[in-house]
Amino acid sequence: MTPLLEARGLNKSYGQLRANDDVSFSILPGEIVGIVGENGAGKSTLVKMLGGALAPDSGEILISGAAVGLHSPADAQKAGISLVHQHFNLIEDLSVEENLVLGRPELRHGVLSFKDLRPDFQAVADDLGTHIAFDARVSTLSVGGRQQVELIRALFHDPRLLILDEPTAVLPPNERDRLLRFIRLLKSRGTATILISHKLDDLYDCCDRAVVMRGGRVVGTSDLRADDRPGLIRLIVGAELPPPDTRHGTRGAPLVSVRDLVIHRGNGTVAVDHGTFDLHAGEIVGLCGVEGNGQTELLHALAGMWPIHAGDITYSIGEAPLRNADAAALRRAGVAHIPEDRLHYGIVTAFSLTLNWLLRKLGDTRFAVWGWLWRQAATKATAGAIKDNDVRASGPRARMGDLSGGNQQKFVIARELGDDAAVILAGHPTRGLDIRTVVAIRNRLVAERAKGVAILLLSADLSEVWDIADRIMVMARGRLRGPVPVGETTLAEIGHWMTTP
Amino acid sequence: MSDGLTRLVRVGVVLFVAALVPSLFVVIAGHNPWRVFTTLVLYAFGPQGWSEVLVHAIPLTLIGLGVAFALRAGLFNIGSDGQLIAGAVLAVFFAPYFEGWGIAGLIVFLAIGAIGGGLLGAFVGYLRAWFGASEIIVTIMLNYVMIQMISYLIRGPMQETSRFWPQSYLIPDDCVLPVIVPGTRLHAGVFVALVMVIVAAIVQRRTVLGFQASVLGANPGAAAYAGFHVKRLTLVIMAISGAFAGLAGAVEVGGIYQRLQDNMSEGFGLAGIAVALIARLEAAAIPFAACLFGIFFAGAGALQRELALPFPLVWIIEASVIFAVAALQWAVPSRKAAAA
Repeated sequence: MTPLLEARGLNKSYGQLRANDDVSFSILPGEIVGIVGENGAGKSTLVKMLGGALAPDSGEILISGAAVGLHSPADAQKAGISLVHQHFNLIEDLSVEENLVLGRPELRHGVLSFKDLRPDFQAVADDLGTHIAFDARVSTLSVGGRQQVELIRALFHDPRLLILDEPTAVLPPNERDRLLRFIRLLKSRGTATILISHKLDDLYDCCDRAVVMRGGRVVGTSDLRADDRPGLIRLIVGAELPPPDTRHGTRGAPLVSVRDLVIHRGNGTVAVDHGTFDLHAGEIVGLCGVEGNGQTELLHALAGMWPIHAGDITYSIGEAPLRNADAAALRRAGVAHIPEDRLHYGIVTAFSLTLNWLLRKLGDTRFAVWGWLWRQAATKATAGAIKDNDVRASGPRARMGDLSGGNQQKFVIARELGDDAAVILAGHPTRGLDIRTVVAIRNRLVAERAKGVAILLLSADLSEVWDIADRIMVMARGRLRGPVPVGETTLAEIGHWMTTP
Repeated sequence: MSDGLTRLVRVGVVLFVAALVPSLFVVIAGHNPWRVFTTLVLYAFGPQGWSEVLVHAIPLTLIGLGVAFALRAGLFNIGSDGQLIAGAVLAVFFAPYFEGWGIAGLIVFLAIGAIGGGLLGAFVGYLRAWFGASEIIVTIMLNYVMIQMISYLIRGPMQETSRFWPQSYLIPDDCVLPVIVPGTRLHAGVFVALVMVIVAAIVQRRTVLGFQASVLGANPGAAAYAGFHVKRLTLVIMAISGAFAGLAGAVEVGGIYQRLQDNMSEGFGLAGIAVALIARLEAAAIPFAACLFGIFFAGAGALQRELALPFPLVWIIEASVIFAVAALQWAVPSRKAAAA
């Protein structure tokens, strides 16, 4: 059978970094192929080239046996390739329907009334068996809902090949299952899918085979036999995984005290309703809950980025306690913050790594004195940090947006934990990252706890919380339950708390 | 087709269209496009024209620097005309006190101009940061307020003593920027502009303030995360942006008019936005963009005198140049953009 798509000897470099090194790859009609590999292995670069967003330095792409030039996403679309990015390209303030209409490039030159297209979009949605409110604003949709919009947009052109970049990274379990069902449904109709994922379960549940990339090269394929899972992990990592750090901390004095805290959202609704808890030195407190129940606002308020409506947040780090302080004062006092939404808060993609380093270092006299920046000192420190923390980048002058998501996250963690932090506020620190990075970040947090740091860990991954947290706290509709020691509760109880405020 | 060839073709198309469109209008108006072009170029690089180009490039540079500084932070300062007037008025108001101060009088005179524009800019920043007002609307409205205000002042409280012309008293000689090339109008303001280019480039690259401004423009969420005081920062940035325009006002008075009068700004505010954009907000590129627009400002008069070409045609040519530069940025994407 002629492959639907074949890539032959693709090469792509960014400066010194060989993002793709002689990559060859093929997929048959109706096949589901997983692409797996660590952050910076070259998966995103390969996908961008297949989707027409990036031109290879050399090599060729064949569709049904004929070489094609994919110079733009529109070219790829014409060739029957649709791509759904990891980070959605939706306009928050527009409705679902308006976003879908914008995704049709033929409309750029002509004028078409919105009503004309509704039945077509509806047909795609029905076909998938999904219900979607076309008049809803995108900003009101859950992550899963947004992904549905992206999928309808991608499927509207009836592609022969669908490429999904980390589609399950941000989905809760039920929505993830629904997505995998879609992919199998598409396969039964002859649509091929490339699924990029860090979650091995996704591959085993859905894919026909997996292609493993490492260091910009294809290092092997797996037919995903259940008994060869350790072999697949070795192939991905290129070595054995480091063992998990199991050290415990000694619980010390409370460093953060939250009393009767009330926080409102921008629209005036209550996000946090009279929350009270303490965070002690030398412990990890896990914060769980279904997305949108006030955890984001709580974390932002703790980091000094969101106004408090009533109550108190007191940090007892230095000699004088800090009460309801702002983000800059907290940073200086030793509060590290790994924001859950990296792209909107944690980094500036258009800036170099050095400037991203400076973002949270302006209170540090090594880098800024009397309003002057010491860029050379910052460049040097950045170079050291990316080396010590295994951030894959061409150097401190690399543009942040050119790094893979995992390397961006490693950079943020390096920046935040580089100095001696007393308190760490971590928002989904391992979400969407590869196996080795996840282990490295968890071990890092455990090591910080052993040094006596107080850590609040917001995580959607209950098994992660179970593995490393000492106590666990649940938020539902703005109300806090706990914290209770992890040993004194069960997954069933936590699940119950998450759904009943 | 290879990428390089595509690029070359694109550039060719852009230049062709940029030359064709204004030529069509010129032909319709009954003139010879080639003659218009040669007249403009010969004037701009000729014995009389070059100094006039620079004379107009001075305020355009200063205003362009201010617009670019705000725009880096995502703030649109459309009010340079108003801020220029505010600077000129405040400087002229205090000028009589500096009689006999010598060079110090000139420096204080210019500084007060910057303060005048800065105060107006700070007011806009305050409305934007604390009340969420659109700085675009506010600055446009304030332009009209300031135009009316200067019109009142030069017919009322600040009018010259003979009370005949609608203009103010003359500033003392100490506050005058001397002509540096005899026989032209080119004055020492050119040095002021160049110093400010260097200052702006340093602020942009080397200071915490410049860094914070670009973070605010590139990712406001990151500014909040980093703990910047976004309201205060907005106010300061608008104040500095206005101060550049206010300084331009004092320089125009000190170098050209030596008093207040109507129509001092000649539309520098809008042209300053184009200057900033064409220079891609890079301080070092702004004087060059300003000279390009200076050619049109200075050449418009020459075209009218020598070819009886109406002003609107010059604006059409100017607009084509703006389009052409914008289109060239599409035709030859920078290396950074290509890697994204």
